[in-house]
Amino acid sequence: MKTIQEIPLKQIDITDETFSVNFMPDLQRLRSSLQTVGLIQPVLLKRRERDYQIVSGFRRVWVWQELERDSISAMVFGGQEKNDLEFFLLSLEENLTTRRFNMVEKAMALQKLHRLFQVDSLEIIKTYLPLFSLEPHEKILNTFLALAEMEEEVKTYILREEVSRFNIRLFGKMGSEDRLTLIPILSHLKLGESRLREMLTLLLEISQRDGQRIKDILRRSDLQSILSQKELTPPQRTERVKKFLFCLRNPRMSEKEEAFKKKVASFHLPEGISIHPPPFFEGRGMKLAFQFRTTEEYRAVVDFLSKLGGKEEFKALIQNF
Amino acid sequence: MLPFQIERIYLDFQAENDWVTQHVLQSLPEVPVKGVGDKRGLIKNALSMADPIGEGKRNLFITRFYGKRLKPCPGTSRHICCGYFVINTVTNCPMDCSYCVLQGYLNNPFLTLYSNWDDLLQEIESFLSVDCRPFSRLGTGELSDSLALEPLFPFSQYLVPFFAQKNAILELKTKTTEVQNLLSLDHRGRTVVSWSLNPPRMIEEEEKGTALLRDRIEAARRCQEAGYPLGFHFDPMIYFEGWEKEYEEVVQLLFSRIDPKRVIWISLGGFRYPPQLKGIAEERFPQTRIFLGELFPGKDGKIRYFKEIRKEMYQKMVKTLKEVNPDLFVYLCMESPEIWKEVFGWSPQNSSHLNEFFEERIKKFIGR
Ligand code: SF4
Repeated sequence: MKTIQEIPLKQIDITDETFSVNFMPDLQRLRSSLQTVGLIQPVLLKRRERDYQIVSGFRRVWVWQELERDSISAMVFGGQEKNDLEFFLLSLEENLTTRRFNMVEKAMALQKLHRLFQVDSLEIIKTYLPLFSLEPHEKILNTFLALAEMEEEVKTYILREEVSRFNIRLFGKMGSEDRLTLIPILSHLKLGESRLREMLTLLLEISQRDGQRIKDILRRSDLQSILSQKELTPPQRTERVKKFLFCLRNPRMSEKEEAFKKKVASFHLPEGISIHPPPFFEGRGMKLAFQFRTTEEYRAVVDFLSKLGGKEEFKALIQNF
Repeated sequence: MLPFQIERIYLDFQAENDWVTQHVLQSLPEVPVKGVGDKRGLIKNALSMADPIGEGKRNLFITRFYGKRLKPCPGTSRHICCGYFVINTVTNCPMDCSYCVLQGYLNNPFLTLYSNWDDLLQEIESFLSVDCRPFSRLGTGELSDSLALEPLFPFSQYLVPFFAQKNAILELKTKTTEVQNLLSLDHRGRTVVSWSLNPPRMIEEEEKGTALLRDRIEAARRCQEAGYPLGFHFDPMIYFEGWEKEYEEVVQLLFSRIDPKRVIWISLGGFRYPPQLKGIAEERFPQTRIFLGELFPGKDGKIRYFKEIRKEMYQKMVKTLKEVNPDLFVYLCMESPEIWKEVFGWSPQNSSHLNEFFEERIKKFIGR
């Protein structure tokens, strides 16, 4: 059984993050708890020649330092007692009993197991994914390894917006510069899970089809001008951006939609009447919608529509679309 | 030498004594065999692998099939289909096309060969004895490639002579060159051998493990010499930059070797897929460009090229084909009546109407 010792803080190397798995930690709660009840659980340290390396308890050491304490209670391990992987596992175990890992922290831990401690992928899938409540599947491991490689801004966005694993995989297909150009734009839009997925898919597909980098698509002046329109609300801006990307991705469909809209506009439909093509112009049968509040309005609509039915351009619309 | 690799044979204990099984085992003497009592467990285990589909293609499962193995082709709703019947001899396929619908369709990922062969012939026999259509068309190429497993078991040697005695047509659809077994058989024109064709670039990019275009055409030429009626399927037609020229070149190459008068039918079908396929295929083929076209959901829930694109592709192809020979019988696979009208100027009223055209074509072709 290890004894607990008081170790001077200045002998602890807080820059060594070999065993650290922390991203955007919420230190507020820990701070107030340490202030009121003090340190209940000692930190775990590994003794080195000249100083101590933190195995577990990074957050406690940070806050303790912030609170200007001189020393901290610690359980100290000799350098030879365990190998680094064992120390890391000890740290994971200790952390898992006291807190939950966020997505990025899970990614960091898996990346360390994979890269730093050279644990075999199959072993990680079988043993460690379930430890983090993840399904033991290669695809999941790859998703988290890709997340671990992403830039701080992207990781922050992913955590803040609770981005799904599917969308993380889409981010993972982009280059670093692409992601860094994209994140500030996304932050100005109003995107739920499926909108984000649509937008990322559109960008990736345009980029693959045209052999153009995503950052270059995003820097196009026509897109930039939508983004700089101050009068747009976030949902309006989101709609415009989405429409813009859709047109870029589907030029022939957009052309057809435009032509249809133009044709319909030439009929000068009164307010409350609208004509819609079949979905994706597939099959025949347009949809006509109208609104009325009084019998007079109803008669006016019917009258307008019956005149419209006699017009050659209207017949052409039915014929051609 | 097999043109594909089988790493292991899983042998269902219940299929152990079937003569088909013995034949297959003799064809693959080097491949390790593992007996299987728990089929479900085997499949469940395979499905938990990183790439169950890829894994399944390298592992042969020999088992018995207890349900119906002859069914009408499911076709697709609100579209005109050709009224085909599907015979299930094998499920899955050793080749690996990025667009293959089997990837999202089969819940058993193994390349599976059914060993109760005699039951199958009996099932076909009783189906044909009550079927009053003059020339039903049946094919083995829906849940697999019709000829890919010929080196393991010569299906054709049993099916072709069997159909030679019937008033029905067997279609063997393939992307291989496995025609050796067919050449000496007495087929009486009741077996159509058909190839799926695409430009060489698409074959290289999207049809992994399949035969080269010129080899497919050469195999077709050998079947032509052996007197078989030939079919060709430009399906899926893929829209890419330069498609027009490259498909035209395929047609030219084809008819530089093949007599159009020996071609019983040609189908055209734009690339289409059920929604679940995209995720699976993109995962398995990260380089695929097949989903980069303008593709939208249709009335049957399948995703197809934008109507204008399909129309353009079909119109150009029909024109090219009719320039070769105006008598070629060209039809569209799983298309809407509107598209039929725009391409041909007319449309079959429904699937059974199209079926009548097939019957006439067959009668004319085999001289009855
Ligand atoms: S040859 Fe046919 S069955 Fe085989 S993978 Fe390709 S599409 Fe699928």
